[in-house]
Amino acid sequence: MSFIKDFWYGKPHTAEEGGRRLGDNYLPKTGLYKHREWRGVKDTFYYFHNIWLYNYLHMVMDVMKYGGIINFVKGVWRYRWVGQTYLPVLHWFDRGLEGLRGEALRASAWHYRAMVNATIYQFMSMFNADTRLHGGKKNDAWYHTMAMKETTWGGMFYGWSDKFKAVSLEMIPYFVTCHVNSHTVHNYIDAVQSIGLPGDPCPMCQAESGLFVLDDIPDYSPFMITCNEACDGSVATAILQDWFNDKPLYALQMPMQFDDPLANKFVQKDIEKCWKFIEEQTGVPMNFDLMCECIERQNELQKFEWEKWEVAAKTSSYPINGVAQALYRIYQSQFGDLPIWHEVDAKVRPIMEKCVSKKINTFPKTRHRVIAWSCAPLYYSNWCTWAYNAWGLNVIINMDSLMFDMTLRTDSYENMLEDVATYHMWAPMRRMAVGGMHHIFELWDYKERFNCDFVMMYDQLQCKGMQGVHGLFEDEFRDRNVPAIWMPHALPDSRTVSRAEIRRIINDYMSTVMHEEPLDPSLLELDDDMTW
Amino acid sequence: MRDLKHLIYFENLLKEANNELVKKAKEEGKLALGYTCYFMPEVLLDLPGCFSVRLRAPDCSSPDIATYYMSARVCHYGRSLFERALEGGYNFLDAQMATETCTVTCRFQEHIQQKKLDSVKDMNVIENDKFFCEFMDVPFKNTENDYQYYHDQLEYHVLGKLKENLGVDVSDKAIKAAIKQHNEVCKLINEIGDYRKLDNPTITGYEFHVIQLVSLVCPKYLILPYLRETAKELKTRKPDEKWPFRCKVVLAGSENDDPYFTQLIEGCGAEVVCDRYCYGAVESRQPIEIREGETPLKAVARHYLETSNCPRFMPQNEMRARKQRLADLVKEYKADGIIICSNKFCEYWSYERVIDSFIMQRDFGIPVCSIEKEYINTASGQLRTRFQAFVESVEIKKIQEGK
Repeated sequence: MSFIKDFWYGKPHTAEEGGRRLGDNYLPKTGLYKHREWRGVKDTFYYFHNIWLYNYLHMVMDVMKYGGIINFVKGVWRYRWVGQTYLPVLHWFDRGLEGLRGEALRASAWHYRAMVNATIYQFMSMFNADTRLHGGKKNDAWYHTMAMKETTWGGMFYGWSDKFKAVSLEMIPYFVTCHVNSHTVHNYIDAVQSIGLPGDPCPMCQAESGLFVLDDIPDYSPFMITCNEACDGSVATAILQDWFNDKPLYALQMPMQFDDPLANKFVQKDIEKCWKFIEEQTGVPMNFDLMCECIERQNELQKFEWEKWEVAAKTSSYPINGVAQALYRIYQSQFGDLPIWHEVDAKVRPIMEKCVSKKINTFPKTRHRVIAWSCAPLYYSNWCTWAYNAWGLNVIINMDSLMFDMTLRTDSYENMLEDVATYHMWAPMRRMAVGGMHHIFELWDYKERFNCDFVMMYDQLQCKGMQGVHGLFEDEFRDRNVPAIWMPHALPDSRTVSRAEIRRIINDYMSTVMHEEPLDPSLLELDDDMTW
Repeated sequence: MRDLKHLIYFENLLKEANNELVKKAKEEGKLALGYTCYFMPEVLLDLPGCFSVRLRAPDCSSPDIATYYMSARVCHYGRSLFERALEGGYNFLDAQMATETCTVTCRFQEHIQQKKLDSVKDMNVIENDKFFCEFMDVPFKNTENDYQYYHDQLEYHVLGKLKENLGVDVSDKAIKAAIKQHNEVCKLINEIGDYRKLDNPTITGYEFHVIQLVSLVCPKYLILPYLRETAKELKTRKPDEKWPFRCKVVLAGSENDDPYFTQLIEGCGAEVVCDRYCYGAVESRQPIEIREGETPLKAVARHYLETSNCPRFMPQNEMRARKQRLADLVKEYKADGIIICSNKFCEYWSYERVIDSFIMQRDFGIPVCSIEKEYINTASGQLRTRFQAFVESVEIKKIQEGK
């Protein structure tokens, strides 16, 4: 009977229940699956058809839709970051969605689908316009694509979105790819160090610079908008990139003390100058009505995000797991409006409503509700999937998700500009990291708001801002008696602290400090250094 | 050369932040205002009744408690300042006028600030009831919009808070008086520094470094008599018959308040004839000019944004112009090369150093020695080898060019 039950529903989660032992599914030392996870008849078939097959199919369809197979193949041939990451995409799904069942599986997977679509849209926009893929020719697409630094909010260019595409320079070549394949980015970090940069600056900035050192970045726009977000390393990277890029450049400012009463007006003027620069470069004026239209659409996304937060904070029926929540939110809020976000939100809404109305406990083995703070390891963003499966640590919310916590007014140019300035200054990795210590210590408010009892404190070893407050957090954790794990990492560089080491740190804390037993002991030790 | 009369006195003044002249000024009822960055205009902290102290942490080689709070992976300078603050070394300060111009000094200043928040406890580092720490924001560009913003920041966060909290006179008349005093210091330092332009300079880089530093860390009105006397002494100072160095270099880069680093370079045969780094004189000792129709505060705001060569300036023209300015300094001071240094963990200068290493050689043909160093240079053996090799390479280049 038990066999039939396991076949029909999938094996239960915990060891006491005769559990599923997810760690046994891996080939030793590879992180690859011996066989796919059996999630019960319904969920296994859902995963195969509605996630695995559906997404592979759409990965082909999206390529055809956004520029065609020829440009895609040329891009794969020319740029190692796309060649090395396109096919492992579904492994990235597998890692993030491992062990999920029912509504949690469905809702989380839709977020992944959205990110894949947005990624293909961007790299195909790059390839369509790239002079390097078109024999050095500047085609019409080249003249109609804008390049910006990845930390510049895409909404800054809404006013031209009917005629121009705005594509961030490093978002796909570096940021997205290292989530999918953790090895791709090492090459770029090594490249910039080979020209004399020390190893200690932020590895994210190093990777961004390395793309230019290796000339592995498309040339798809006549000009560039850069910015100083989020930190000293970003400023310095922007400057190094400019020496390689050598194109007309506008440096958009984000005041460090962004709460300052004088900052907003100042930034408004800077943004207007940036728009003027774009008008000069493109010969096309900014369309205010179009800007407002796009902002309104983006506001819809934000309103749904708030609904999601409400469910996450007040119920145990939130159907989106930690990694899907974090990556989707940062991607969507940073990129700005795109049809796929709306399509996916429309799919997720009924799932979430069903969970709430039927009071479905979406993560039933939750032992601790976790808030993850500071910047996450990009090469192991799916650690939270593992932590839930292994220890019942359920990541409810994370710092990156909370960055752009606002809608923008469109009732007048002045109000719109004021809100655009604020949104722009609340950029990712920044809203809580600069502008005074009180921002970084907003942790306690959010912990309470989201009803969390546990903190996963990301310890980006090369982030000077976070390292600079390390001891104060230690003191506060002790004084407040808050269980917290410091998770050391180096953003994209998986060589500094491996995934296995991160797991070991969590295992040690959970067993020696929390005195808890793992839910799935097969997941405690596995060697996945060699995998994507 | 004969020793400078006040050199040992100056060296002693640099042994601690709360030095003899600082103590004297405090006894006279003056307010001590600390700062770390060029973008906090020293001249506004030298208003009547106040004096500026650019913070240093001499001989701090083991910042243990600061390392607990800030980790070992941030700039040694920031940690050393915090350690010194924790030791009570800055208790004489009445205020710290802060900028968020680089991450680690920002964190240091936040640590000593009374934040009065529920979310994080105050450490009460500075034991002085009057003490406060005020932050201002500094732009990344130098357009008209930035001048205005910077001006407003100075007005609100510096002048406004000094008046509000300490009752300082911040009138135009007071600012003009501070500018006048500042310009006299600049005139004397430049006069002293110009002897480095001679074929056989009558002042060494080390001596100048010491003199420049005392002008940053001591009350201006108390150090001025010594500077005047030193400038007078230098007028008649005879150089050694034979120039004792093998080449001349411009020293550029990040924070450097360690004259022994300059001494180390000179010990390897390269005379440091120009100091284009944080705490150096190239920017900080340019006189402030009040142009027609300008208020004194506007002149100060314009001056500091115009003169800075900080690598946090992002406009494309500015990124390129500061390379040209560095090349111009090499020419002006008849240097044979550039030693470009960055403090370990300094993100701005790590990148700028890489760029300088390439651009200065490629576009200007200037030999560059690129060094990463600590705040306190305990690894002098390794650095000595690097500098000696650089001096030899410059000499070989000269021989090849038939000089």
